[in-house]
Amino acid sequence: MTGPSTITWTRALRRPRRALYISSPIGLGHAQRDVSIAAELRKLQPDLEIDWLAQHPVTAVLEAHGERLHPRSAELASESAHIAAESSEHDLNCFQAIRRMDEILINNFMVFHDAVSEGDYDLVVADEAWDIDYYWHENPELKRTAFAWMTDFVGWLPMPAGGEREAFLTADYNAEMIEHVERFPRIRDRAIFVGEPDDIVPDSFGPGLPAIRDWTERHYDFSGYITGFDPAPLIEGREELRRELGFEPDQRVVVVTVGGSGVGEALLRRVIASYPEAKRRVNGLRMIVVAGPRIDPASLGANPEIEVLAFVPNLYRRLAACDLAVVQGGLTTTMELAAGRRPFLYFPLRNHFEQNRHVRHRLNRYGAGRYMDYDASPPEVIAEAIAAEIDRPIDSRPVETDGAARAAALIAPLL
Amino acid sequence: MTASEPAGPAVHEQSRARYPDQAGFVERPGARVFYEVYGSGEPAILFLPTWTLVHSRIWKMQIPDFARRHKVITFDPRGNGRSDRPTDVAAYAETEFEADALAVLDATGTDRAVIVSLSMGAHRALLLATEHPERVEGAIFVAPSLPFNASYDRKKALKAFLAPAPNDEGWNKYNATYWRRAYPDFLEFFFGQGFSEAHSTKPREDAVSWGRETDPETLIRSTVRDGLNNREAALERASRVHCPVLVIHGTDDDIRDHADGAELARLTGGQFLSIERGGHFPNVRDPVLVNLAIRDFVRRLGDES
Repeated sequence: MTGPSTITWTRALRRPRRALYISSPIGLGHAQRDVSIAAELRKLQPDLEIDWLAQHPVTAVLEAHGERLHPRSAELASESAHIAAESSEHDLNCFQAIRRMDEILINNFMVFHDAVSEGDYDLVVADEAWDIDYYWHENPELKRTAFAWMTDFVGWLPMPAGGEREAFLTADYNAEMIEHVERFPRIRDRAIFVGEPDDIVPDSFGPGLPAIRDWTERHYDFSGYITGFDPAPLIEGREELRRELGFEPDQRVVVVTVGGSGVGEALLRRVIASYPEAKRRVNGLRMIVVAGPRIDPASLGANPEIEVLAFVPNLYRRLAACDLAVVQGGLTTTMELAAGRRPFLYFPLRNHFEQNRHVRHRLNRYGAGRYMDYDASPPEVIAEAIAAEIDRPIDSRPVETDGAARAAALIAPLL
Repeated sequence: MTASEPAGPAVHEQSRARYPDQAGFVERPGARVFYEVYGSGEPAILFLPTWTLVHSRIWKMQIPDFARRHKVITFDPRGNGRSDRPTDVAAYAETEFEADALAVLDATGTDRAVIVSLSMGAHRALLLATEHPERVEGAIFVAPSLPFNASYDRKKALKAFLAPAPNDEGWNKYNATYWRRAYPDFLEFFFGQGFSEAHSTKPREDAVSWGRETDPETLIRSTVRDGLNNREAALERASRVHCPVLVIHGTDDDIRDHADGAELARLTGGQFLSIERGGHFPNVRDPVLVNLAIRDFVRRLGDES
């Protein structure tokens, strides 16, 4: 340790390459893909040191992979707790939730600013870290490293319930983002869209603003989708996996999960209510409901024939082995199912523009999953959909497996 | 003591980045004043209330950042937030706000603090810095609202404020009779002027919702009360500030003249941070710049002491 009055400076050519990585804690998927990108980056730059400025639940994934947490991580304010607070039964207006996160975002940017000012970082990688992208564009003189920005959607889109006001607001946010990027192209040294150009929605940014796809193709590079895992062994080893999990050959297994979300209870109840009718239609139906850490399995009052589990480690194995999954509309879980080539029904949260528009567009492009409107799906409609989808041959487009390597190849030249 | 009802319901408060470590009321004659304390570390920083139109959430972009290193203290003005809404005009005199600040410092065991004020908060900040210099380590004035303009005539202004305006256009909305008729529209107008920067929808919505936590009658009392309204007295008082000063003011401030901020810096011998093309609420609209400027000011206080 050195005293408080000591200043340390390392001669430039003797410095190891260093990156500060920020992975969004909203949703479950960023951490997994970012860890896989980091691994690919190290292959290209073996002396690379990576610090992670991260918070729950990203920290859990980083810990499992032995990644190094920046000590200022403890000063970050929780974004995932805010998103949970903004959610209600199968409902999350995620545009408004992000707007209502402004105090958390300024706090977290100031923490980031301290971390980046105190360390000799060559590069900042920000996977949907909105605070960094926004405030570096607002305060361009503060940028002092190379910057790689990543996102899996471009464009705030209004939901019908938000009316004209939300249409105006989303357009205004989009306009500000476009002005930022076009006025200060020096901020984003690399902008990576996690997907392909065809995954971009066919909408415009708003009245008088560019088409999202045209603009994004001009301002982004494309990595393809990044699952963060290789689905091939799961697909090839599916029969063995079913045996391990005790799925009988004549059983047709439906796994129902809402991830770690506390807003999934309404959907779980409705799928449980569809069971008698689904059982009548599907021979050998076995339904497994995963309640997750925030919902008490006993509170669901499920038919005793249904298995209700609390927490399931390595849930992805059950999803890979099942005959059909029923899930919410989040990108990570639905794309895991698409990558594992499983049929599924997905129910986007009400008023969630990303799930209802961006994710749905992408899944349509792959031909994966069946979109379900929660409000138009009473139990009998769900039962019918289960019966219709469970035996449908999988003809969806395979999900790319080289996304992390492609992203790393785009980022590495900045080091 | 009675309190009038807020004019409109507030939507449920959004998540804070940080919640107070301590909160409570100081009991002043005629009003209970609500305060919050966040974090620890010297020097303490007191973010003063501004006009009763809004409450201490106006500092939300500063509180969590400074609470990482300092003891941060805020309180709600009489007439808004969780403080009382006294019905007596005298309860809104500037000296009452000054006494509230001292009572909050006492209640939180704070001998000295850096004081940060916004707009009308400059009145209480000037009183504190000149009447109680031993409690004030330094003073930061954001978009100060002071009667420095030579053409300002308090008597005339009050008369115009209280009588019906010739029409409801523009600044004629700054009028007691209009507030009684169309308070929500006044709020939209005022914060539209205050946040003159493009893409300010969220700060405007926030400020309007805080404005709806009080009511026209309370706001009228807080407007006609005795303040630091005399030009000569305000100039003289500013020249008696001896602590380090930083003034921050935007050139596109449509509420208070940028020239007034420059004049305050000159009179106090303070540093002036001019935000070219900035509006009336730089602490909200340019929080990174303002936070770093306050941080730098506080660090230099440490270097000097």
